[in-house]
Amino acid sequence: MGEVKTSMVGRAFLLLIVMAGSVSDHSMAQTSLTTESRFEQRRQRLIDVVSQERDRGFFTVAAKLSAGRDKDFALAMLDSLTTDESIGGMFYAYSAIGTYLRLWNQLPDSLVRKLRQAYRERTMYRGDTENHWVAYYTGLYLAAQTWPNEDRSQWFNGKSSMENFKESEEWLNRWMSTTATIGQGEFDSPTYFIVFMTPMLTLFDFAKDPVMKRKAQMTADLLFADFAAEHLNGNYCGGHSRDYPDDIVNPLSAPAALWAWLYFGEPNMELWQESRYRPRYRGGWETVFGAMSSYRLPDVIHTMATDRSKAYVHTETKRTRNVIRFGQEKNPPVYKYTYMTHDYALGSLQGGILQPIQQHTWDVTYRSDKPNNTIFTLHPFYSGRELAMFFPEEQKFLADEVDRYHLVYTDPNKWNSSSPYEQTFQHKNAIIVLYSIDKNANHQHIDGFFPKNLDERIEHSSGWIFCRAGSVYVAFFPLRPYQWIEEKVDWRWRSTALKNGIVLEVGSSDEDGTFEAFRNHVMQSKPAMNSSGNDLIVNYETRRGDVMKFTFDGKRRLNGKAIDFKTYKFFNGPFIQSERGSGIIRMTDGKKVRELNFKKATIKEWQRSQN
Amino acid sequence: MCLLVASAGVELLQARQDTIYMSVLNSHKHRLGALDNPTVGLFVTTDAGATWNHKGWRGYIRTFYTEAGSDGTLWSACGNGVLRSTDRGNSWRVTTGWQITEALKIKIEALKPAVAYAATAYGVFKTENGGETWKEENKGFLKPFVSDIVIDRLHPNRLFAASEDGVYLSTNGGTGWLRVGIDGKGVRTIAQHPVIKDLFFAGTEDEGIFVSRDGGKSWNATNSGLIHLTVYCIACDRSNPDILYVGTHGGGVYRSSDGGKSWSPRVKGLSNLVVHSLVVLPSNSSVLFAGTLNGGLFKSSDGGEHWSFNSQEEAQVWGLWAK
Repeated sequence: MGEVKTSMVGRAFLLLIVMAGSVSDHSMAQTSLTTESRFEQRRQRLIDVVSQERDRGFFTVAAKLSAGRDKDFALAMLDSLTTDESIGGMFYAYSAIGTYLRLWNQLPDSLVRKLRQAYRERTMYRGDTENHWVAYYTGLYLAAQTWPNEDRSQWFNGKSSMENFKESEEWLNRWMSTTATIGQGEFDSPTYFIVFMTPMLTLFDFAKDPVMKRKAQMTADLLFADFAAEHLNGNYCGGHSRDYPDDIVNPLSAPAALWAWLYFGEPNMELWQESRYRPRYRGGWETVFGAMSSYRLPDVIHTMATDRSKAYVHTETKRTRNVIRFGQEKNPPVYKYTYMTHDYALGSLQGGILQPIQQHTWDVTYRSDKPNNTIFTLHPFYSGRELAMFFPEEQKFLADEVDRYHLVYTDPNKWNSSSPYEQTFQHKNAIIVLYSIDKNANHQHIDGFFPKNLDERIEHSSGWIFCRAGSVYVAFFPLRPYQWIEEKVDWRWRSTALKNGIVLEVGSSDEDGTFEAFRNHVMQSKPAMNSSGNDLIVNYETRRGDVMKFTFDGKRRLNGKAIDFKTYKFFNGPFIQSERGSGIIRMTDGKKVRELNFKKATIKEWQRSQN
Repeated sequence: MCLLVASAGVELLQARQDTIYMSVLNSHKHRLGALDNPTVGLFVTTDAGATWNHKGWRGYIRTFYTEAGSDGTLWSACGNGVLRSTDRGNSWRVTTGWQITEALKIKIEALKPAVAYAATAYGVFKTENGGETWKEENKGFLKPFVSDIVIDRLHPNRLFAASEDGVYLSTNGGTGWLRVGIDGKGVRTIAQHPVIKDLFFAGTEDEGIFVSRDGGKSWNATNSGLIHLTVYCIACDRSNPDILYVGTHGGGVYRSSDGGKSWSPRVKGLSNLVVHSLVVLPSNSSVLFAGTLNGGLFKSSDGGEHWSFNSQEEAQVWGLWAK
């Protein structure tokens, strides 16, 4: 059988063509299918699409064997995966055993032996990030469970089956507990969501220990719920760790979007355009393990993800990844704030360095048929010291090293960055973002992303910039002079003052009526900035009459009252509640309550009226 | 023939072959997740760098440093933890669990090769049974990031740690630590002079070289002539106690001929000036190797006067150790 080379764009196009057919929610609504049957169709469709792939990988093999397509080709592909020395590591560790456990009854003995051999001879690098460790220890747990009672000589790391199992179990338990009490270090990542979710679903499917199985299910519930509360039509909204530039400026290209489509049924695939959705190699096909899993999304979480009938404020606490030097705390808290409506979401982290390299501090993301449906600003910061906070290599060498992998770390035009010179203050659909940039900083400007495909972008003499994308309205007030730079898909807004900032309000036709009414309403107020000496203070009265006063490195005051981040709960919103450290997460869709108790490893569900 | 210090004050005269262990953290040819990475990991030479043999795992596990115990056992400090080999590097066992990661250095007690200390991003860990079990030993550290450890060769319960916060001393085999100098500064490396027992050196981030001539009680900067003040490594000439070398960030190799009082650059032929590891050949102190970050390994046969590229193109030669 000849190998057909298909470009990434071509594959994306294929995916669109195949997926856009009978399984869109639009058509679903017309046929009155149940949520469950819609999911069933989507998962079958996904397996079918991926089974037509020619790209070598465990997920392609799994899809082909599951769909009964190209079996000989799939087995040959799997054989090459077991013998090819150009692949390995933590992703191999979990995807190889996941493929084996799902499909062992279709594999010839020779291939089973080769898969086993891989865990004896291959170097399985544990990695240096949270998702690496989840992949590594999930793989090792399941491999040790599959081949128990083997001595140290039979494993790549010189540990016996029992030692590997115990170590993996211990770490996984610890990670799940941390995730459920103080949050992830790689929190809310639109990319690495998949590398947490795929191992958890594999663990749920194949862990023999019922407690581990249940905890994997609970963790999957938690990660889905975490996404769902900040989900709008396939977009993972607001602030994130570990977000890649292409996904930041085009949120539906993020791998998490495919999981949203599979489990939440959004966005409507018929509306997707090729330019908008490009499931990159690292993101797409892991979802096949989800499609093959026996895990089912609880109704409560599905409602969380899709019911946007009422606007709401949702806050969360997360943590940074381990700070190994130059800090006072190992895992300082991250405070997230999201305002969600039917048409848009405005979300933010508090600012500062909360995550190295790939932080996305804030954005407004809106429901749209067009790509690049987001607006945000950032300061493109980089420093070896920032990296050395989180990585053990030498600080003077780290920036160049990180640039080798991430390409844009030192780039003045990058679209992802943490910065010690950036802070936010959000209240509902208004946000103040301040920048106090050190005169010795590598890059001394701030940038804003404005998609070119906005329906309107108006620079008003009042100083406000008004934007309209369909029924969503954005008012953006630069506190300092700026310029526009035309780029391929966007207008880059740039301002070079060191003491700087913006004020932004978001609205919609539902909330504000016409665009003109929104503009007139917003223009009744004008942000006032004081940047004398070391001070950087902004006062602003929102169009709803709330007074926000924000001092950089100082207080955030709402209507005269200081905001205290320490009062933030682990989760706090209409759909999900949890006290930090409790390990108890309670979700509701208004009718039903689902409670995850990680300390007792229990799941309870009840009707709300019975509570 | 060379002198080998084997125990408290006892110097053994012994014929032997020099062996150099080169730990390559990464290279521009490396690909994350790949098994076939022959450009990273541990390399060993027994012919003064004419040939290097890759030993152990070919996959990338972030190999920072490798050292051999007096019983021939090899220990590697890696991202995956601490690895140990009892068959000259042909097979390895990860001795540590999930608790230990980002091991930057491993130091083995000379007379008790089952006792080893790991310097890690999370502090010091100790094993007394050849890596079967490990114990965290961080009592007393204000900031536990530890880049390097030196075991006092005359008093093996006396340890110095290069921390992010200065030099720390333990007098009880790591049970407790007390800061003894270079307060608040990031210390990258620490070394005891191989001949003069009370002479210690510490290389720092941005603060240059510090010396202690009283067994670690007091520490003073000794930077005359040293322009590049981030010092990653220190090497001593056993045959001439006054000759020392340091590897710096941006300034390549510096040499001192007066016991560390003054320094002058030795960079001719050194095309990469970020030198992270240095070793003097035990049997011939004119021969040096300098490991660079992203420039590979360089060799000098004339005490650092001239350098030439030796191997590992574009590699990060993080650690060098010789016996």
